[in-house]
Amino acid sequence: METNGINKYAKYALVVLLSVALILFTQQIKLLKNPDAAPISSMTIWGLLTLWLFSVIGIIISELAKKQPIGFIKNFPVLGWVSITSLVLCLMSDTFVKAISAVDFLSITTPILTFAGISVVDRLADLRKTSWKVAIVAVFVFIGIYVGSATLSQIGLMISGQ
Amino acid sequence: MKFNFILLLIFALLVITAAEMIGFQSIPLGPISINLLPLVFAILISMVLGFGIFRKGIVKKIYSEKNVTFASKYLIFIMLPLMARYGADVAPKLQEILSIGWIFLIQEFGHLGTILLGLPVAIFLGLRREAIGSTLGLGREGELAYISEKYTLDSDEGRGVLSLYIIGTIFGAVFFSIVAPVLLHFGYRVEALAMASGMGSGSMMTAASSSLAATIPDKAKTIIAYASASQLLSSFIGTFVMVFCAVPLQTFMYKLLVRGKGDKSWKQTA
Repeated sequence: METNGINKYAKYALVVLLSVALILFTQQIKLLKNPDAAPISSMTIWGLLTLWLFSVIGIIISELAKKQPIGFIKNFPVLGWVSITSLVLCLMSDTFVKAISAVDFLSITTPILTFAGISVVDRLADLRKTSWKVAIVAVFVFIGIYVGSATLSQIGLMISGQ
Repeated sequence: MKFNFILLLIFALLVITAAEMIGFQSIPLGPISINLLPLVFAILISMVLGFGIFRKGIVKKIYSEKNVTFASKYLIFIMLPLMARYGADVAPKLQEILSIGWIFLIQEFGHLGTILLGLPVAIFLGLRREAIGSTLGLGREGELAYISEKYTLDSDEGRGVLSLYIIGTIFGAVFFSIVAPVLLHFGYRVEALAMASGMGSGSMMTAASSSLAATIPDKAKTIIAYASASQLLSSFIGTFVMVFCAVPLQTFMYKLLVRGKGDKSWKQTA
């Protein structure tokens, strides 16, 4: 069931719409649990629509980039394109920043990780194929990259006197 | 719309509700506290219910092949609003970020920590060619592509990187959401930890930075902005750091570490 052309974009746009709808739902649940959480205002709705719009623009740019020959641009991830699109448009108008900021940050993350969990269930079986040795190595690899970067950042911040 | 797909949506709403109702939990362990965010509960609930033993009746329909494929195929698109949100977080702080831009740049070389720390451990455990694949980097798409191109995935190197990819996909987010705030106790400044969070994996960055933001809410805006700026930088120069720094460093260290031990041991296990 390969979709192409306009159909493909419509599908992507719908999935992103589903995502922003789930964010709204999450923010509402947060409010039920804690009435002091970030309120849902008309700004929140505008913010969600802005997030949807920026995502769709990013998708279109990413698809166009795939059609041109420069490898680095061709392979640049759609996640990066959306961030750049949003960054540029937010620098152009503060209104976007205000609208998006009305969307609670942590409410965006819960739905994503829900789907991340569902997406990996069939990989759980693959875990058996990985050796326990690589699992131990993974812990050191994860700590290595994080502590490595954090140490360099810390030194940098100290040098710059921040 | 298919019945199973509607079930998936209802299930997602239920998982979100459960995760949010559990809410932010802080578990004190001596001087250190472990912070668990709703996002951690969300991934744990949706993952654990997918275990074979729970996949009966309606749960089996929720985790139907089509639904799981939908989740993995479109996960990136579900993440896009988060990426769009990052633009709005970085924009107001762009001046500040650019003024210390060089720090963002040098911390990218901290990614070599995967080799500096991971490779000796791997060699010590008796891994040989597999160690090449599993310590080159965080084991995300970039490393996967590089290793599969150079060695194919059906090689020891390929199996190494694939294993790391699987482990990272399953445990990465939970791991970093716990480890990131713990490092605050080791004297790291939250700004440094925020910059380090942008490692090239969207879910791990999100987990690390939101966990930091929940621990120090006063600096939440700075944390999210630094982490996402660093993430964006990683997606720009990550490949260059890997090809021009990580690969030569790894080759050098590998030769150094296995010298004397010979290549015998890996041939026996291979």
